Amino acid sequence: MARRWWTLPLFLVSALAPSFSLAGPAFENTAIVRTIELGGSLVHVSTTYAVKALEPGQTTYQIALSKAERAKTSWLEAKVKARLHLSSSARMSPGVAEYLLSISLPKALAVNGTLNLVLETMQTHATRPFPEQAAQNEPQLLKYETDLFTISPYTTLVQRTKIKSIAPNVISYTTPHDVDSFVRDGSVTRSGGTITYGPYHDIQTDTDFVAKHQQSVSVHYSFDYPVIEVETLHRTAEISHWGSNLNIEDKAHLHNAGPTLKGHFSRLEYQSQNFQRKQAPHILSDFTLHLPPGVTNAYFYDQNGNVSTSHLRTAPSVAKGSKAVQYSVLQLRPRYPVLGGWNYSYTIGFDTPLQDSVSYDAKDGVYMVGVPVMTPIPGTVVNDAEVKIILPEGATNVKFVSPFPEISNSMSTHISYLDTVGRPAVTFTYKNLTYKHTDNIYVSYQVPLSAHLKKVLSVSAAFFSLFAFAFMARRVNLNLHKK
Amino acid sequence: MDNYEAIQALHNSLPPFSPYVPASLLPSIALILLASTFVLAFYFSTLPKDTFPLRETAVASLASVLGGFGVVALFCSAGVNV
Repeated sequence: MARRWWTLPLFLVSALAPSFSLAGPAFENTAIVRTIELGGSLVHVSTTYAVKALEPGQTTYQIALSKAERAKTSWLEAKVKARLHLSSSARMSPGVAEYLLSISLPKALAVNGTLNLVLETMQTHATRPFPEQAAQNEPQLLKYETDLFTISPYTTLVQRTKIKSIAPNVISYTTPHDVDSFVRDGSVTRSGGTITYGPYHDIQTDTDFVAKHQQSVSVHYSFDYPVIEVETLHRTAEISHWGSNLNIEDKAHLHNAGPTLKGHFSRLEYQSQNFQRKQAPHILSDFTLHLPPGVTNAYFYDQNGNVSTSHLRTAPSVAKGSKAVQYSVLQLRPRYPVLGGWNYSYTIGFDTPLQDSVSYDAKDGVYMVGVPVMTPIPGTVVNDAEVKIILPEGATNVKFVSPFPEISNSMSTHISYLDTVGRPAVTFTYKNLTYKHTDNIYVSYQVPLSAHLKKVLSVSAAFFSLFAFAFMARRVNLNLHKK
Repeated sequence: MDNYEAIQALHNSLPPFSPYVPASLLPSIALILLASTFVLAFYFSTLPKDTFPLRETAVASLASVLGGFGVVALFCSAGVNV
């Protein structure tokens, strides 16, 4: 089976560092700027390293991530001059205190050669509501904690950390202590919703430094959108060659991870907030999904039945592989507003024409389908996702590749309408997905025409058995009296 | 990563899937085939009872095959894409 394995031609996995030993004075960071954009479930961190080579012929640069930071990171990408050099499944060598990420430089740097490296990461489950309970009309306040200093195996001449909140009102932020030796001006400044820690000069984050000076800083800020986590997401993609159709169905369990509701839910309060258009920030009343163009037969139901409070605006279908100019927009309103700590489970599904997703290689008779891993709900994290791709009955020679490493994959048999032996299905499981994880899974398979005709044959056999029964029944005499 | 990118590029460059029977024709095909099956079944019921049931078998087989295709087309046009 085609599995994606990380051997970029330029990528070199560094040897396992037994402890946080300095990687040698091969590089020097002239500046590190870490920008943290605070969100609800998702926090976007972008770190720019201005690198100077101290020794000739350097081809590998190492970035360090502390264990706590690595645990929170669900996606990362490293770019040199806007060209991607490392993506989310890069192998990180674990050390004692941190993880080391090896980046291969596009070309070897000469002595005193400089380079700008940008590491972008998406952190999930990094914020928590504080206070943990809020009444219906109270604001939503979240707390985010991070380490003060950005660690690196090399000496840093100057580094700063900027924490940005969307809303300008930051309730509080910690002032670092014991940093006078690195600071020339103030150790922390605030300007509106942006808090800048630094600049800190001449930092060398070895084990002693980390033990003595590394500290945790936290920002307490207001967030004006509901903090939603999708606890589990089950996506099923069923391919039908007879109907020329790809059906995608998502079963999601939403959870509002904001502050839990204090007191009872007042419908009156909710309606009056709606009327005054000043809805409390932690209430989820509706959300929008962007579905692929050419969507038909969309449905939205939950445990009680069909949910009619939805609106779909379809976009015309585009050819396979071409970039969609316009997406179909599905606005969903759950059956009830989801307040802090509440859950909502629903199922949505839609059909798309098969020619938009499946390609055919006539030379080998191989079909290939591209199914997106998920349709993101804006600003949410999916804790556990399972994607099941059901291939037509009689599919053989199944190969698959996932855009980023999955937790597990398996093959099974799925039995559906008019099946005789069942359909092969490929299942992938993932954790902590964000809007950055929406690429396609590609599965290739072969189906002979005889497999399709098997369905017709089974129905024909059923009809023929009825005719055979009629044939025999006509010859049975059920008269009571002899004629 | 380049393995994935190569597969993605291959998928985008290959011609799209085209079904044996266009999906828009399926409702009409279902109607015609199932109507034929019904007519043939009626005809089957009027056939004389021969010792060697050649004609009955032929009509029954034809009706079954048409019925098989008709039911598959019916399922697809009803939204149950089999």
